Amino acid sequence: MPTQIVMNHNGDTRHHFDARDVAALAKAEERFKQLTGEGFTAAVRTKPGEVIRISSFNPNAEETVFFPRLIGG
Amino acid sequence: MGLPMLGIRRVRIARRSRFEALRGLYIHCYNEKNPHTRGLRLLRAWLSPPQLEQFNAKRHFDVIGCATGRRYRIHYGTSMNVYELDDAGRPQVGRCFLPEGRLVPGDVMLAQKIALETSEIRALSVAINFVPMRRILSL
Repeated sequence: MPTQIVMNHNGDTRHHFDARDVAALAKAEERFKQLTGEGFTAAVRTKPGEVIRISSFNPNAEETVFFPRLIGG
Repeated sequence: MGLPMLGIRRVRIARRSRFEALRGLYIHCYNEKNPHTRGLRLLRAWLSPPQLEQFNAKRHFDVIGCATGRRYRIHYGTSMNVYELDDAGRPQVGRCFLPEGRLVPGDVMLAQKIALETSEIRALSVAINFVPMRRILSL
């Protein structure tokens, strides 16, 4: 089942959704837009260890990870 | 030793082993839900096989910047843990950047890996440079 993994101070929060469920899909897409709008980066794995950044919702991605905006330390 | 004493001893041993089993279960459940453990599990799942092997052995792993092809070493930690390596694999300069908010080390390191492998220039543009520590130079 596709999962959106949002990094936070608790480690992460995971949102699973059924890609065949129209309502769940819409909700996942809305979450994607909201997070990226807030400055989160979204990335998916293409194969073990290889990642790409995505700027639009990919309903077929097994896992999409979101991390907050980068800052200098 | 009389029979009643043996019985009491057996009960005590049984109780102790039950307690140990429960304690082990509690520790296992706590670790499963612990943010640090979860962060590290997520990181490990997203590392390439060579990166995972390196991380398991040395608590750091190397990534290649997508724009420049430079090699970076990400150490376990949440800040001042990324080093650009020279051709000989020695830390040349530290690049300090991290995701906003208080994230656990596994999440920070994964975000740093993804940033360098997918948007290196953006990561470097926010990074603050620093001189590598002597301890790191000797690794």
